[in-house]
Amino acid sequence: MSFRLQQNLGGCVPTIVNAIEVEGLSRTFNSRRAVDDISFTVEAGEIFGFLGHNGAGKTTSIRMLTGQLRPTSGHARVAGCDVIADQQRLKPLIGVVSEHQNLYERMSARENLIFAARLYGADTRRIDEALDQVGLLDRANDKIQQYSNGMKQRLLIARSLLHRPQIIFLDEPTRGLDPIVGRDIRRLVQNLSREGITIFLTTHYMEEADQLCNRVAFISAGKIVALDTPDNLKLAHGQKSLQVRLNDGERLTISLDDQDSGEKIKQLVTSGQIRTLHSAEATLEEVFIQMTGRKLSE
Amino acid sequence: MNSRVVSAFAQKDIVDAIRNRYLLGALLTPVFVAVLLRILLPGISNLNFTVVVHDPGGSRLASELRAMPQMKVITAASAEGVANELEKSKAVGGLAIPANFDADIAAGKQPELVVYVNNKQNDIEQAMFRQLVERQFLTSVKERLPAHLTWVDVNKEVSGEAPALNVNQMLLPMLLLLTFAMAGALVVPLLLVEEKEKRTLDFLLTSPASLSEIIAGKALTGIAYSVLFAGILLAVNYKLVGNWPLTLLTILFGIVFVVAVGLFMGALFENTMQVNTWAGLVLFVLLAPSFPSLRLPAMLERALHFVPTYYFVEALRLALAGTASPRFWGHLVVVLASTVVAFAAATWALRRQQN
Repeated sequence: MSFRLQQNLGGCVPTIVNAIEVEGLSRTFNSRRAVDDISFTVEAGEIFGFLGHNGAGKTTSIRMLTGQLRPTSGHARVAGCDVIADQQRLKPLIGVVSEHQNLYERMSARENLIFAARLYGADTRRIDEALDQVGLLDRANDKIQQYSNGMKQRLLIARSLLHRPQIIFLDEPTRGLDPIVGRDIRRLVQNLSREGITIFLTTHYMEEADQLCNRVAFISAGKIVALDTPDNLKLAHGQKSLQVRLNDGERLTISLDDQDSGEKIKQLVTSGQIRTLHSAEATLEEVFIQMTGRKLSE
Repeated sequence: MNSRVVSAFAQKDIVDAIRNRYLLGALLTPVFVAVLLRILLPGISNLNFTVVVHDPGGSRLASELRAMPQMKVITAASAEGVANELEKSKAVGGLAIPANFDADIAAGKQPELVVYVNNKQNDIEQAMFRQLVERQFLTSVKERLPAHLTWVDVNKEVSGEAPALNVNQMLLPMLLLLTFAMAGALVVPLLLVEEKEKRTLDFLLTSPASLSEIIAGKALTGIAYSVLFAGILLAVNYKLVGNWPLTLLTILFGIVFVVAVGLFMGALFENTMQVNTWAGLVLFVLLAPSFPSLRLPAMLERALHFVPTYYFVEALRLALAGTASPRFWGHLVVVLASTVVAFAAATWALRRQQN
């Protein structure tokens, strides 16, 4: 499914289809290429994921797209704004949730959001609305020192929503969180997407990318090695097979790519030996390992 | 530059600094030091002076000097010989008392009393000697001084005016500089470095706030605290100020300079440990010109001229003495130029890190 929302994103160009356009973007640190000539587009309203192992270039890519880091070469436009030339016009249009929980610990949640609202010129009446959206309204006056990791992550998302951005960048939003809290964050992200916000997220959790993203780009050693919907990636690169359990308990795996697979299945069916029969698709992680030679957790 | 954004930074940091016990301690320490010095500073009675006196008329003034337990009085044969004897005996000062001193005072005249001050001696001793001569012996008559004082500086090495200050006026620049050096050169860099350590600077750089606005906000915080505590010190020591507009102007220049140094330190260092390691040295260098001279080796004395706070201290001493001269304005220009350089360096350091 592709999203073709013709939205007026209120950016530097009056009407745009692509929320993000990247062409030949690279970043070098002391002769090491952290991001190497990447090109892609993200459609307005889409949830787009960057999936890669640690050190693959995900965070560097986000930092370039959000104006924190100057690219060594290439171009990028976010909400129609050039990430270098139009930085000051770009910033009010985007929200950024960093991989670090960069909140002011000695201040309360409400004070953190008041400060952010003043920076963005946002209406401070939005603060309660944003806190309620992430389920933190009743803890608004607690100091951040008293917050759990999950609460801090939710507050970061609330802070990124204050000024009603068109695009939100989430860098490893569920990293280090327990599964239940991670699930809550993912639900939050899906709700934001339903409101029409374009989401660009990076993750090294395969299930997260599979569950959330409309399209995923695999990034490894600074390069994009694949880009498509999760289903297409699994279908195109995974091995199709059937998992068969026989009446005597024996388990068989029949690859549908084998020429004689049809004959084998017919034999098993007619023999009445089959207890259970399941299709087994490749997982995104298996596809990633196949394409990059590395595990996501490396 | 958006004033809303700058004031948002300043408001946040002013409140946040108070909630940080370490920063709060750094801000309050100079005030405590100032109070402590006022309490503990030895009074005139605790110092020993050697004074040379020429007193052909056997005045009561000379007798009272000899009667003071901390005073050693050396007699000079002539008025002209007082200066020579000062140098020979390393006395702090001398008096050439006219022959009919007591009689003239009794007759309601104003005899001329020449007071010699040995500039080779310790500045504090010189200042206390001046204070002693003025306060204890010649201000007992409330309406007017009973004698006309002529001050003569012996072994004067500084060209141009050297303001005559009492002890407290000598110490006030040091206390003021300590006050806003702590706020500017310790609190401000810590505020900036903490943004880097906690990665909140990343958030700030993705917000509409520009680097200049971030710097201005931090500077405003340092200036606000410095003005507050300098104001307290001035209020306590208001009697020492000779020229208020010049004194306030000089203090403002000094505050802005020290804050600029703090911003540069904050831009340069990556963590609080680095700030704490270097802040002591930086503070010492900034404060060194304000210490009442202990007669350092000539090379070190000359080195102090390269520290911008030397010119701040000189300007402040002139302002406290009520002296507005080309020299005063020249000192302020040096402080201003140093401030511009420090701000430019801070901006450059932050931009370099960003790239």
